[in-house]
Amino acid sequence: MIRKNFWSGLGVAALAVILLTWIIPTYGGSGFAFGMQPQRLATLGAWLILGCSIVLTVVSAIALKRRGESIVAIPDLGHLWHQAWPFLYVLGFIVLIDRFPLTWVAPLLIGGLLLLLGERRWYVVVLTAAVPTAGLYGLTAHLMRIGVV
Amino acid sequence: MIGFDAILNSFAAALHYESIAIILGGVLLGYIVGVIPGLNRAVAIAIAIPLTFYMSAYAAIAFLIGLSKGTAAGSAVSAILLNTPGEPSSAATCLDGYPMASSGKPRKALKVGLLASVIGDLLATLLLIAVAIPFASVALKFGPYELAAILIFALVFIAGMAGGSFLKGLAAGGMGVILGTVGLDPETGAMRLTFGYAELMEGVPILPLVIGTLALAEMFVQLDEYRRNKDASVIKLGKNADDDLSYQEFKGTLPTILKSTGVGAFVGALPGLGPSVGAFMAYGLAKRSAKDPDSFGKGNPNGIAAAEASDNAVIPASYIPLFGLGIPGSVSAALLVGAFMIHGIQVGPLMLRDHPEMLFTLFSGMIVASLLMLAVGWYGLRLFARVTSVPPHIVISVVIFLCLAGIQVQGYGTFGLVTVFVFAIFGYFLKKFDYSFVTFLVAFIVTPMLEMNLRQSVILSGGEFSILLERPIALAFVVFTVLMVLHLGWTSYRRWMQARYKAKQV
Repeated sequence: MIRKNFWSGLGVAALAVILLTWIIPTYGGSGFAFGMQPQRLATLGAWLILGCSIVLTVVSAIALKRRGESIVAIPDLGHLWHQAWPFLYVLGFIVLIDRFPLTWVAPLLIGGLLLLLGERRWYVVVLTAAVPTAGLYGLTAHLMRIGVV
Repeated sequence: MIGFDAILNSFAAALHYESIAIILGGVLLGYIVGVIPGLNRAVAIAIAIPLTFYMSAYAAIAFLIGLSKGTAAGSAVSAILLNTPGEPSSAATCLDGYPMASSGKPRKALKVGLLASVIGDLLATLLLIAVAIPFASVALKFGPYELAAILIFALVFIAGMAGGSFLKGLAAGGMGVILGTVGLDPETGAMRLTFGYAELMEGVPILPLVIGTLALAEMFVQLDEYRRNKDASVIKLGKNADDDLSYQEFKGTLPTILKSTGVGAFVGALPGLGPSVGAFMAYGLAKRSAKDPDSFGKGNPNGIAAAEASDNAVIPASYIPLFGLGIPGSVSAALLVGAFMIHGIQVGPLMLRDHPEMLFTLFSGMIVASLLMLAVGWYGLRLFARVTSVPPHIVISVVIFLCLAGIQVQGYGTFGLVTVFVFAIFGYFLKKFDYSFVTFLVAFIVTPMLEMNLRQSVILSGGEFSILLERPIALAFVVFTVLMVLHLGWTSYRRWMQARYKAKQV
């Protein structure tokens, strides 16, 4: 956890520096204001993040040093892949949903994930993929009929 | 003063068959979600918000409140039968619930849990009604100085109390503040952090944000954990007559239920603490004050009663700062604010002035929800016991689909889908690195209100901070905030020193 704190603190501090030096000054808005400048609150928030993350990083670095533990620990690639594939799976389907109707893509999304997670009973895969898709189809048809979509 | 007619009308509206059907739907769905391990209240509300888009404001909020209450009660079922809490706050229920169910009394354990849940919830709802209205009447007299000071205090308090590191809590709050400022500046009309996207002009859309950070991110975490614990055995409900809860047995748990409701209501009224703290505090208190503390952890019904009464009392009590001051003290309260915003209602003391009839009807609806919870839980006991057997990989696949479908049905299009994905990554890292999600969400929700009050304060004072001396309430909250920061800093420092001392001894 201490190493995690160190790296997350460092990452958040880097983000805060980017926010303070580039993003907020460039995209934070400008203009004459009687009260607070448009950027003021976001800047205060970024300073708060920076202060907290620096303290967190320093405290974690000291704790790691006292314990004699290394700051760097190379994560297991298999574990990393296990954490990353669901994101890639969903991202792939977002690209598909952008091109095809969700009611077409939904059975593939649900069924594919079930198969990847080890489900081999065909009736479970078919039913789990079909029931929510039918529900979505019914809801969309209803919303179109009442003129919402 | 609230008239008798207003109360009567609100009850009549809440008892209308349409209203009952909506609340029942919410409670039922909440119960099912609560029973399924891995799905929690926040996930349920996040994916249910799109369903409420086409309802009236009252129906939407009543449905979500019913859902919220249902999940709290339903989570006890999996805690008792599966030894896996449906919600983290039901972990205390596992301690006595599972041993009692394992010893051949699963129905008794479930009924004690249900009755404790309903009583805790009902009493805390009555407390909410009794306290929120006077609270809101006082809060209506507050000016921008007081409100700004109270909001800053609440954010610091939540960052400190939400669990985990205070520093990470504050950093998460800072992230929420920055995201809360996205959109058109209310005074100058300048575009802030929109990067040229017209979709961000009204701020970061709340639905993709909550679905991404709460529901989709949670499913990614569940997928990560899925490979580690695939197998779990469920205790089946039998038809043994000894397994029925007698009146005498229930009476024996009543003092514990009442005490634990008090603990839960107190914890719930303080922003940020959450139901887990309430449940464990009540459990600890029940164990300490029991004549046979050694029987706790081995299937003592008072252990279940304490945890469940407190867990369920926290939910209505957490709406006290919400309806009284407009400050959401928990994730579910923050999500309710989002739902209110979608329906164009500003939740908080102004509701008492602008929509009093709706406020009273909601309160009546909450009481109806508590009673429906009892009926649903009592008669659906066997059905919900079966729901615990739904395999997690089915739940995960369907919920991921619901997350994307919710965004698509609302017409957010590709922008919404990309936003939900980005926030899912963000939420995943918040969870994995233990940054307080509740502080982030509350900061995001209250930032527009905070900015407006801060801005008005700066304009009215002309930059003179000495004006605070003429505003005792605002000054008191500024002092409380400073004391809170010092106290939390000191506590963190002491904890760090203790850890160092222990490490040296080892």
